[in-house]
Amino acid sequence: MILQVIAATFAVASFSILFSVPKDQCILAALNGGIAWFSYLFLSQLGAGPAVSSLGATLLLTLLARLFALHRKHPVTIYLMAGIFPLVPGSGIYYTSYYFIMSDMESFVAKGTETFKVAGAIALGIIFGFALPQKFLLFARRKFPY
Amino acid sequence: MSYNKEILTLAVEIGDELLRNGGEIYRVEDTIFHILKAFEIENYDVYVLSNGIFASANEDSDESCSIIRHVPLGDVHLGRIAAINQLSREISEKKCDLKTAWDRLEQCRSIPLPKPATLTFFAGLGCSCYTYIFGGNFLDAIFAFLFGMILEIYLIYTRRKKTSKFISNIVGSAFVTFASLFVLHLGLPVLQDKIVIGDIMPLVPGVALTTSIRDLFNGDYLSGAIHLLDALLTAMCIAVGVGSMIILYQYIPGGVPLL
Repeated sequence: MILQVIAATFAVASFSILFSVPKDQCILAALNGGIAWFSYLFLSQLGAGPAVSSLGATLLLTLLARLFALHRKHPVTIYLMAGIFPLVPGSGIYYTSYYFIMSDMESFVAKGTETFKVAGAIALGIIFGFALPQKFLLFARRKFPY
Repeated sequence: MSYNKEILTLAVEIGDELLRNGGEIYRVEDTIFHILKAFEIENYDVYVLSNGIFASANEDSDESCSIIRHVPLGDVHLGRIAAINQLSREISEKKCDLKTAWDRLEQCRSIPLPKPATLTFFAGLGCSCYTYIFGGNFLDAIFAFLFGMILEIYLIYTRRKKTSKFISNIVGSAFVTFASLFVLHLGLPVLQDKIVIGDIMPLVPGVALTTSIRDLFNGDYLSGAIHLLDALLTAMCIAVGVGSMIILYQYIPGGVPLL
């Protein structure tokens, strides 16, 4: 699990370089992605399904991205965009098309539904993350200065 | 050029640069508003879509002016967005006059993309890490690294040639699947599906999905729909590319059973 989180951090770091994130912000962006992947794994181990785990991880990712953005005075996008990639259902797209081609309709429907659920959960995670008013974040910063 | 016109042009140029590099709609609108306000233009209207900007200022006076701008959907460059964000913050704090603003905008525009070699290496590294976290082993990660680098070289090439995104997505994912099937066919003990999943990561529409959700959330339904359609079509292109290669593989005699 530790190796997985480290790999996720490196993956997010390299993708933030692909999106030309300013060099001094790459570390924070990568850290954010690593934390999100850790929380995904953690929730999965507690027995949550992929959709619920994605929801929790995305929510945490978005909130942390907003905190970092406040702290560093940069747009939220920088910390959010690369970090979302481990959660995006790339494997869902692959297996859905694979089962479709193999005419394994039962698995195709199951995997396709799961992919849509995960995409929806990511959407909800981002929306909830942004729905929290800025005041709470400012309050959190004042209470726990870092 | 009248004073009004020049300020409106500056504001729209800055918004254009934000939108081109992957900014969200509300950020572009906000930035344009703040700049116009900072230069004390009172009567203005701005409407931003994900591929266009419409702006007008002082419609009711003699000095009225308006600008319409078409902005094609482009590649994401978050470094430029951060720089322009900084610039617009300084303008709205009135620390920056018109002349310096133009110079600074020019500087933001000329922030280069990372070198192709850097991009290639980090795409490979990213792909191999994704292969690993989605359940591949060490050997898979090495192959994903190689194929990811080749894929990125191809993507850089298509970006220069301005090939259609559909074609480059289909060909890219087909290539990755072909390469992984080839390695599998050679008899190496690889998990072919994990290699493909890791390597299609640079093509997966994570950015379009995120942007579309944020646009929809802010009430920009049309722009959100444009990005959502972009994300769905990209996902479909990946499926077509991967699927076509798997179908072809079925026809090869003596093919190893998949999964």
